[in-house]
Amino acid sequence: MAVRMSQTTPQVADSELTEETPGAPLVRILITAVPGADLEAALAVVGRQVYEPSPQIAVIGEGLEVPDGVATSSSLEEAINSTDSTIDYLWILHADARPRPDALSALIAEIERNEASLAGSKLLKAGTPDELESVGGATDVFGEPYSGLDEGEIDLQQYDVVREVAFVQSASMLVRRDLAQGLRGLDPLLPPVASGLDFSQRTRLAGGKVISVPSSEVYHQGRCFAPGSGWREQAGRLRAMLTAYSPLTLLWVVPYDLLVSFVDSIISLLMLRWRPLARHVMSWLWNLYHLPSTISQRRRLRSVRSEGDEELFRFHAKGSVRLRAIGEEISGRVLSVFDDDQALARGSRRVFGSPGIWGAALAALVVILSARTIIFIGMPDVGFAFPFEPPSIAFQRWFGGWNEAGLGSAHPVHPSVGLTGLSSLLMFGSEGAARTVLTLVLAIVGVVGFGRLGGRLGLRGPGRYLAGLVLLAGPGTALLVGRGSWLALAAAALLPWAVRAAFIHPGESRRGLVGRAGWALLTGLLLAALSPLLAVVPLITVLVWRALGGTGSKLLLAATALAGSLAGVAFVIGDLSWVTDPSLRLNLTVSDLWPAAVAVIAIPFVLDETRLRTMALTGGLLSVVSLAIARVVPMAPGVQEAVLVLASFGAGMAVAAALDGFSRNPVRLVASLAAIAVVVVSAGTLMNGRLGLPSGDVNDRLGFASTLAGEDGPGRILFASTERALVPGQATAGPGFWYRVVDGTGMTHDEVWLPTPGLGEEQLARELTDIASGTELRPGRALADFAIDWVVLEGPTFVLDDALLAQLDLVPTPLDPASRVYENSEAAPLAGTPDDPWTRDGTGFSGTAGDSPVPLAIDFAPGWEPDGTESSWATVVSGEQGRAWYSPTLVQLALPLAVIAGFVAALGLIGIGSRRP
Amino acid sequence: MKYVVVVAIAALGLAGMLLPATEPVTADAVPASELPPVAICPVVEVGERHTNLSVLSSVNGAGRLSTFSAGEVTGSLDFRTGGTGAVTVAAAEANAVGVSGGLIEMPSDATAAAALITSPELRAAESCADIPSGQTFISGGSTVSGSFFEIQLINPYAGEATVDLTVTTETGIESDHRFDAVIVPPLSTITRDLTQIIPGREQISVRVDTTRGSVLTFGRQTTDGASALWRAVPAGQEWLLPVPPGGPLKRMIIATPENAEIEYQVDLFGPDGYVEGHATGVLEPRGLALVPLAAVSDGAFGVRVIATGPVVASLWMSSDQTLASTTASQVEAPVWLLPGASSPPGGSGSLVILNAGIETATVNIRTLGDQAVVRSVDVAAEGVLVEDLVAAAGYRVEASSPVVAMWTSNLGGEGTAATGIPLQDG
Repeated sequence: MAVRMSQTTPQVADSELTEETPGAPLVRILITAVPGADLEAALAVVGRQVYEPSPQIAVIGEGLEVPDGVATSSSLEEAINSTDSTIDYLWILHADARPRPDALSALIAEIERNEASLAGSKLLKAGTPDELESVGGATDVFGEPYSGLDEGEIDLQQYDVVREVAFVQSASMLVRRDLAQGLRGLDPLLPPVASGLDFSQRTRLAGGKVISVPSSEVYHQGRCFAPGSGWREQAGRLRAMLTAYSPLTLLWVVPYDLLVSFVDSIISLLMLRWRPLARHVMSWLWNLYHLPSTISQRRRLRSVRSEGDEELFRFHAKGSVRLRAIGEEISGRVLSVFDDDQALARGSRRVFGSPGIWGAALAALVVILSARTIIFIGMPDVGFAFPFEPPSIAFQRWFGGWNEAGLGSAHPVHPSVGLTGLSSLLMFGSEGAARTVLTLVLAIVGVVGFGRLGGRLGLRGPGRYLAGLVLLAGPGTALLVGRGSWLALAAAALLPWAVRAAFIHPGESRRGLVGRAGWALLTGLLLAALSPLLAVVPLITVLVWRALGGTGSKLLLAATALAGSLAGVAFVIGDLSWVTDPSLRLNLTVSDLWPAAVAVIAIPFVLDETRLRTMALTGGLLSVVSLAIARVVPMAPGVQEAVLVLASFGAGMAVAAALDGFSRNPVRLVASLAAIAVVVVSAGTLMNGRLGLPSGDVNDRLGFASTLAGEDGPGRILFASTERALVPGQATAGPGFWYRVVDGTGMTHDEVWLPTPGLGEEQLARELTDIASGTELRPGRALADFAIDWVVLEGPTFVLDDALLAQLDLVPTPLDPASRVYENSEAAPLAGTPDDPWTRDGTGFSGTAGDSPVPLAIDFAPGWEPDGTESSWATVVSGEQGRAWYSPTLVQLALPLAVIAGFVAALGLIGIGSRRP
Repeated sequence: MKYVVVVAIAALGLAGMLLPATEPVTADAVPASELPPVAICPVVEVGERHTNLSVLSSVNGAGRLSTFSAGEVTGSLDFRTGGTGAVTVAAAEANAVGVSGGLIEMPSDATAAAALITSPELRAAESCADIPSGQTFISGGSTVSGSFFEIQLINPYAGEATVDLTVTTETGIESDHRFDAVIVPPLSTITRDLTQIIPGREQISVRVDTTRGSVLTFGRQTTDGASALWRAVPAGQEWLLPVPPGGPLKRMIIATPENAEIEYQVDLFGPDGYVEGHATGVLEPRGLALVPLAAVSDGAFGVRVIATGPVVASLWMSSDQTLASTTASQVEAPVWLLPGASSPPGGSGSLVILNAGIETATVNIRTLGDQAVVRSVDVAAEGVLVEDLVAAAGYRVEASSPVVAMWTSNLGGEGTAATGIPLQDG
C-alpha cells in the first residue's frame, strides 16, 4: 500500500484553532439522517464541538423535526449547492456518528496544514472499548477496501499519523465547499462506504488530496449499515469504479473484475457459501439497471477532472483484495485441519512445541512418500481400482441410468459413482487428475481425520495422527487395499470424520447441535457412498464407547450418521447378494498375529483411569471382534469390506491411545511398543508407493481391444483366470476358473461390481461350461452374441487353455506377453448388425436410423427405448430414431433424488448451524 | 465392565489366533472333458490324385467336412450318415486343393472316418483320427534311391502349433534346423520332404513332440510308384495286428522313440495256434527292428508285440507294384468300424479279424453302404478270420468278445491296408 506520511500530529487539536480567530475557516455541518439513528443526540453532540466560529448546521433528510436554527434539506446535493460561498468547508456527518468535541477542529487544522481537499476522521465503533472501524484506507483496483485493520483491533494510537489515503468513509468527512459543489456531493445512490470511496476518488481526480486525520475521533454506531446490504456496498464500489476510471482502464478492469467475481463465487460455493455469488449477481444487475445514471456521473466528473487514473493507482493495493482474503481463508482452513491445537494460529514459535503438529506432519509425510508412484506415474488400474468415467456419464449411471458392468443391468451402480463423477466435474472433466487428486486428498484426510477424532476424544499427543496410518493400512484395510480396493481406502479415510461427528469435545457445550447433525449426516452420506455398510460404524462406536463409560458422545448424531446409509440403499437393494451371499467374498485371510497385537495394545489400559482407557478398550474391542469375525465367519463382500475397515479403525483407536503419551509403567510400555510396531508394519504396507494398492495397468494391457477395434468400436473382453485376484473387479465363479466380461474401451470404476446375473450372464455361464469341457469346437461363435471380441486368459494355464487348443474360431494372438489372448472374429457388434453397427453414445447407443430393429448385446431390462423388447436374453430396440437409450423407472429415480435431498439437507443444517450463536 | 471387556478382548484375540481361517472360495468344479467327435484327415487333391473320405457311424446324424489350407477354411460340406450309417464324401466337393487337411465333425462318438487317396497309379488309405496329446511316433519311412518319404503336419485348429521333430535313421539322429521348432500355422498343413533333407536313408523314424497347439502327423511313402499312408501314434508296450493272407512281402517294423534299449517279443496267432516268442530281440536306443512275416504263413495270422518300453509296431506289405502300411492296434474291442473298407471295382479286398482271446468269438460283419448285409461267423480262440470284402462304404464288426480288425484291398497290384477303429461302447 502506498501511503505518504505527513508529520505526526498531536491527539488534541492546536489550541490556537480553538480560539476565535479572524481568519478561521467557516464550516457548515451537514448531518445526513440515518434510519434508526437518534438525530437529536447527533445535534447535541455536534453542538458541543469546540470550534469558532460556530458552524452552521443543516440536516439532510425529508420530514424531519429539527430545533430552531437548524436548516433542513431534502438531499445532500441540494444542501451542498445551497451553501453560501462564504463557507470554506463542509463537514458531512452521519446522524449515527458521535464526534469528540475536538473532532472538527482537528479536521480543520490538518486539512489546512496539509493543503488537502478531503479529510476523514478516525472512526471508532460506538459501544466498544475503542475498537477501530476505519482510519481511512487503500483499495485494490476494483475498489475493494483494504483497511489493514484486524478484526476487533483496539485503538492504541498505533495509526495516529496523518497520511494520504485512497478513501475515507462518509460517516465523517470534511471537504472543501467549492470542491463539494464542483463534485455535486456524495452519490445519493451509494451506501456509506461506497459513497465515501466514490467521493474520495472523484476528489482525487479533481486534483484534491485525501487525508485521514486520526486526531479527529468519531464514534460510529454503524446504523447506516443496513442489514443485508452487503451487495449494495459491492454494487456501489463497482459504480464508483465505473464512474472514476477512464475508458482505457475500464477496458481491462471490467473483464478482470468479472473473472475475480467468478472465481470468488466458485470458491465460496465450494466453501458452502452462496452469498458471494448472489452479491456479485445483484451487484452487476444493479449497475446494469443504473447504467444511465452512472454515465451521467461520468459526464459530471469529466468537467472537473484534472488528474489521470494514475493518481488513483498510487493508492491501490496490488492484486485483488478479495482473492487474497479467500486465499488466506483457504490456507487458514487447511492449516486448521492439521492444527486443532491452533498452534499455528497462536504463532510460529509455539508450532514446534505442539505434538499434534509434529504427529500430523510426520503422518502426512509418510502418506505423501507412500503415494510417490501415484504422484509421479499415476494410479494403478488393477484389482478394484479403475479410472472414473466422464462426469456426465457417471452422473447418468448414478441417477438411475444403465449399469454397464458385465452384460449390463438396470440395477444401480455403486453409490460411489456419483462422487467420482462429482470429483471429475470439479477437476473440469479430467477424470485422471480427479482420481489422483482425490486419492491423495483422501489419504491425507484419513490421517488428519483420525488425528482430529483423537483430539475430539481428548487426546493431545502425536500418536493420534500416526494412528491414521493404521487406519489406512492396518490389519483389515491393508488386505482390502492390497487387493486393489480403492473404495476401502477412501471409505477408511472418511470413517474417522463420520465417527468424529458423533462426538462432542469435552470442552464444548451443546451449542450448534443443528450444525453437528448436518455434519453427521453429510459424513454419513459420503461414507455410505463409498462403503454402504460402514455408515453403521459411528453408532457402533458410540454404543461401545458409552458402554465403557465414555462421555461426550451423542447417540442422536450417531443415528444421524447412520441415516447417511441412505446413499447406499439403492445399490444394496439392487444387489442384495452383495450383503448376503458369502460365496461372493474375497479370499482375504487376516493374519493370526493381528488380533494378538491389538489385544497387547489395548489390555494394559484396563489399569489406566484416564480417557485413554475408554478409547483403547473401545478400539481394541472393535478391532478384535472384527478381526475374529473376518477370520472365521464367511461374509458377503459388502459385510467383509465394512468389518475389515472397522478392524483397522479399532486398531487405530487403540494405537492412538497407546501413543498419546509414554509411560514408564512396564505394562503401558509394552502397549506403546506394540503400538509402534503396528504403526511401523502399517507404514511399511503403505510404502509401496501406491498407498498399498497393487501395481499394474490392466486397461493398458487390454488397450489392443480399442486399438484394433473396427468401425463398431470395441466390444467386450472375456477375462478369465484360475487366480481370482488377476481378474479385474468382481469375478464370477466359472468351471474351474474365475471370469468376467470387461468393457473393451477399458474398465472403469462403475464396472467394478457386477450386478445380479441376468439371463445373459446365465447363458454365458452355460456357454463357458461347454467351452471348458471341450465340447464346443467353435467357441468364438458361442461367444459371438455376447459381443465378446477377445478372450484373455491370465495366470497359470487351466482348463480353458486346454479347451482352446482344439477349436476353430478363436485365434491366439500374441498381443500381451503376460497373458494368452484370443481374437474372436465371429463377434457380433455391441449394438446393431455387422453391416450396420451402432456405437456407444453416452450410456446408450446411436447409429444409422432405419426401419429394421436393432439388436443390443446387453441383458434385457424393461426401459430400453424406443420399443425395447427381449430377444433370447438380449435386447432389441426400434432403429427408427437412430439411437437407443435406457429410461429409468420412477423408483430408480426416487432413491438418487432422496440422496440428493439428504445432501442438501445436510448442507442446509450445516449452514443453519454455522449461523446460530 | 472394563474387566469384562478386557476378558473379551483377550479371548477374541486368542480366538483370532487359534481358530482356523475360513476356507477360500473356489471356482466351480471343472467339467468332465467331453471332446467333440472329430477326425482329422490328410487330403490330397493334386492332378489325378483325389481323396475320398469315408465316414461310418452308429447313428443317423449330421456332420460336416471342413477343408483348410494356408490358414483358412477353404470349404465346408455338410453331410448325413443316413440310415445306413455310412457316407463317402469327396474332398474336392469341399473345395479342397493341393496337399491339405480336412476336419470332420462327426455326428457322435460312435463314428469313424478314413481317407482313401486314389489315382490311376496308386491307392492309399488310412484312418482319420483326433489328435492325440503328447508325443507321437512314426516309423518305416525310407529315402533310398527310388523311394520318397515325406511327413505331413496338419494343424486343423485356430491356434498356431509348434512341433519338434526328432528324426532317427540308421546313421543316428539327424540334425537339421528344419526339424526344430517347426511352426505349423493355424488351419494349415506343413510338409517336410525327407527325401530332400536326408536322402539315402533306409530306415527312418520320426518322433513328433508338440510343444504348442495341436498337430496330427501322417507319413507318406512312395516307392516305385506305389504309395503308403499312415499316421503317427503314441507309443505303447503291447500291439496286436491281424495280418492278411498271401500277397506281397510282409514284414513288421518295431521301433522305439525312447533313448534306451528295449526288449521285445513277437507272438503269433497262426495256423499252428498260439506261438509265443516267435521272435525276440532288443531295440537299440531310438532303434528299429524288422521282423519278417512272409515265411510265417501264406494264410492269415495274427501278431502280438510285447515290449519292455514304448514302441510302435506297424505292418508293411510290399511288392514290385504294391506298398501298403498300417499301424497295429493297442487295444482289442468288441466293435470295430472300418471306414473305406471295400473291394474296389475290378479288385479285391479282405477283412481280417484277430481273436487273441481264449474263447471263440461270434462276429457279426455288417456291410455298410447301399446294401446292408450282415454275416455272422465264429472266430476261433487265438485264431484269425478272413472275410472277402464287397463294394461298400465300409464295414462294421461286432464281436461277442474283444477282437482286432483290419482290412486290405488290391486293385491292379495297388494295395492298401488300414487297421479299423475300435469302439469301446459300440
